[in-house]
Amino acid sequence: MAFPGPILLKRIPAEPGGRHLHRYDDYVATGGYESLKKALAMPPADIVKLVVDSGLRGRGGAGFPCGSKWTFLPKDIHPRYLAVNFDESEPGTFKDRYLIDYDPHILLEGIAIAAYANSITTSYIYIRGEYHREAQILEEALAEAYSHGIFGQKHAGTEFTHNCYVHRGAGAYICGEETGLLESLEGKRGWPRIKPPFPAIAGAFAKPTIINNVETLACVVPIVEHGAAWFKAMGTPSSSGPKLFGISGHVNAPGVYEEELGIKMSTLIEKYGGGVKGKFKAAIPGGISMGILATNQYDAELDFDIGKKYGVLGLGTAGVIVMNDQTSLPRILRNIVRFFSHESCGQCTPCREGTSWMHKILNRIVAGRGKPHDLDMLLELSQTMGAMPGTTICGLADGANWAVKTFLQKFPDDFKAVVKSPLVAGVSVPMAVTVSGAAAAPAGV
Amino acid sequence: MPTMEVDGQMVSWEGKKTILQACNDANVPIPHYCYHAGLSIVASCRICLVEMESPDPKDPAKMVKLPKLTPSCQTPAVDRMKVTSKSPKAVANQKAVMEFLLINHPLDCPVCDQAGECYLQDYSFNYGRAESRFEEDKIKNPKKDIGLHVLLYSDRCILCTRCVRFTREISGSGELAVFGRGAREEIDVFPGKTVDNPLSANVIDICPVGALLDKDFLFSQRVWFLKSAASISPISSGGENIFIHHNHGRIYRIKPRFNADVNKWWISDEARYTWQFVHENRLHACHRMQYGSFVETSWERAYAQTTEDLQKAVRDNGPGSTAAVLSPFASTEEMFLHAKFARSIDPQAWLAVTPPRIDGQDQVFKNPATGAVTFTIRAEKAPNRRGAEKITAHFGGNACALEELAEKIKNKKVMAVLASADPLPGMDKPVLAAIGAAPTLIALTSRHTGLYEKAGLSMPTCTWAEKAGVYENCDGRIQAFQQAIDPLENCRSDGRIFWDLLAHEGTHSAAAVRHEMAAAGLADYANVAIPQVEKPLEVMEFSAL
Repeated sequence: MAFPGPILLKRIPAEPGGRHLHRYDDYVATGGYESLKKALAMPPADIVKLVVDSGLRGRGGAGFPCGSKWTFLPKDIHPRYLAVNFDESEPGTFKDRYLIDYDPHILLEGIAIAAYANSITTSYIYIRGEYHREAQILEEALAEAYSHGIFGQKHAGTEFTHNCYVHRGAGAYICGEETGLLESLEGKRGWPRIKPPFPAIAGAFAKPTIINNVETLACVVPIVEHGAAWFKAMGTPSSSGPKLFGISGHVNAPGVYEEELGIKMSTLIEKYGGGVKGKFKAAIPGGISMGILATNQYDAELDFDIGKKYGVLGLGTAGVIVMNDQTSLPRILRNIVRFFSHESCGQCTPCREGTSWMHKILNRIVAGRGKPHDLDMLLELSQTMGAMPGTTICGLADGANWAVKTFLQKFPDDFKAVVKSPLVAGVSVPMAVTVSGAAAAPAGV
Repeated sequence: MPTMEVDGQMVSWEGKKTILQACNDANVPIPHYCYHAGLSIVASCRICLVEMESPDPKDPAKMVKLPKLTPSCQTPAVDRMKVTSKSPKAVANQKAVMEFLLINHPLDCPVCDQAGECYLQDYSFNYGRAESRFEEDKIKNPKKDIGLHVLLYSDRCILCTRCVRFTREISGSGELAVFGRGAREEIDVFPGKTVDNPLSANVIDICPVGALLDKDFLFSQRVWFLKSAASISPISSGGENIFIHHNHGRIYRIKPRFNADVNKWWISDEARYTWQFVHENRLHACHRMQYGSFVETSWERAYAQTTEDLQKAVRDNGPGSTAAVLSPFASTEEMFLHAKFARSIDPQAWLAVTPPRIDGQDQVFKNPATGAVTFTIRAEKAPNRRGAEKITAHFGGNACALEELAEKIKNKKVMAVLASADPLPGMDKPVLAAIGAAPTLIALTSRHTGLYEKAGLSMPTCTWAEKAGVYENCDGRIQAFQQAIDPLENCRSDGRIFWDLLAHEGTHSAAAVRHEMAAAGLADYANVAIPQVEKPLEVMEFSAL
């Protein structure tokens, strides 16, 4: 099935300006809260099954199947909590902000359906501290929802009652990691927790907790409305449904656009992003922690299988950052690693020290004082830390690593060019050492 | 009993344990910084990572190997598991973590108090690499005075957060926290607060590196010169297990000794820092009053005069005119000999015990999260009241409280008193008030105290550090302590003095007295476990490097 047109963004005009915030009445007038009514008439287990059947995968970055996450909740432990992850802190990602800026009720409806489906009586929307405008929009929307009986009181004909709260973060990237988020929600320092126990067993306040991304919950609304088969018809077999893509960087029309999963990056950039400014050189598929796509990977399909196919970590948040041939990749990488070094929570030794070390090396390289063996050091460091080799608790270090690894493997010449021999001051000498693993990098499709 | 294989060695354990806990108990070395048996598990230092294979829960005959490294401190041990901390992957991680920890660590071991008992040093040697590859500028964090006893050198800190967890989970005071983020992160106190809880100095012990240092011990001795003796704290009736660290006859510090049933891994600051009396204001000679002034006298004359004076009192005033005052600071063996000697001269000699000072109420510490009691500081400030009561009961006959004895002295019923004095400064006032007026007062005292001033004859005795023996704590637990340092010049322990006065044969030893006590019917003393000194640091075999 071809993509039928905006689904999550259907209420938002292509040029929304500042005046198209959908209040409760606008939302209801355009068919809002119909899915909730429909859901409340269904047994909760059927809704969970519907979401499982739809193949909806988490939109927050990891792409974990949303339905199976819901089925992990132990049957007999109450209360349970729903934590909505609106700590959208990944550079290059702004899709959730866009959605909430104009249509906050779609999230609230998704929350109400998810809560009903999982017998949850309390949910928290964890919103990043910098999103003060969105926090205000959500508070207002929440007040409307409360006054119209969506939250806070029993729905007619059911025992279902639900309370929802907006919790503002204090501006830390790590609080977007799900257990870091829970710690922060509990009023503690946002240090990711060791697992097990997983949040589904002992999450917020040591009770079973589901943590879902804003867009994931918004997707639940059309799934209930149109059914699982309709949702599954979009996208690819393993990545179904529509997806919000945020395009930024060297494109003519940056912004948030909705398309089905599996769309080619080139199509996305040209059809929606207005084409590349200048000549395409590289792109980050979804937030800076995912690594980089090489020049010959311009046609990469943006779906959850992108990681295996194109040698990046994954689709991430689908915040595509496009770079043209005037871009200095060492500077970009320095900036990326600076971010991870600054945002490392400092709990695990390898990430705390390793990201800062890589940042210092890259600082030196960018300042023209790089040495050939610095690149090998960077590669070695990027392979020793992270949740994937098991040396850190959470995946923050993996983000830094994949950036370093893929930048060095896919664009070795850019780095060799700036690394000068320490023996010949001021003269750029091609690097003598090989960047190990460079040959193993996928050549693209 | 479940068993797993760790680096080729079989490790068995009971109950629920993590891999690291089972290995620690079985003395199989796995490096670790943030893990401490007494604190919650955070798995953040990441040096304890191992590779492991465990039986498939669905098909127990099949072993499943985890593709990535696993924190051994956090992962439960499972029967038939295979763990390796020496695989190339695990070793690479150990080397990497060591390198990471050292990139911002100053190279100031020569002036660091922790040198010699520093996990960074030991693990550098065992698991690290020889040279640093770090070419950038180090982050230099400040040194801070954060409490009554504690200094924080945050440049040396490896952020294992043991100290933070201690103040949150054990002392319940939560003064310490992690501030900042990433590599700029620091341990610190909250503004305007200091680490001043009564257990504060334990954070120094659990700090695996030289970041938290003891002001009292600062720059006073290199730790490799220190010798260790297993002892019991004489400061309160809790009977906290300690090590006395000493060198050349001088105490340098006191450290806690693990005892699961008494003090766990901790001791109170009071027990840790009250040892200066061992080296202050000590007596070094026997003194007797002659024509209104003190003259030095020899041990032989002192012994002779003691016996003569007591015998004279009995001769002149009949049996029951002498008394022995036992100190709850003496070991049970010493009290036994003391009472035995008193009764050997006067079969109706009165036995009295100096009542210990009671300092308010027991201080109970709880984990604020769980409510579990983590530590108790006892209000009763003497180690062996129960021992004294046991001895008094054993000998039976005339026994009375100290106030009654004072009454008897006032009424001229008791004419001669042989008193053992408490060693702590300022503790002898009630004794002095009670028995100071006795016509014949013989004092066994280690210090220049009020009792010494009033006594017609005084003999210099030893503090607990200079002798061995047993104390019975407030829960009736009989605990032995070792002698740490030799008796200071010309001092003799109470036990030795009474051994000599009783003309026992052979050399005096606490064990010999206990043997005698057991024979006399005090069966509890037949087999008292003698504590062992600290194990020396384990040096791994070179092949493991």
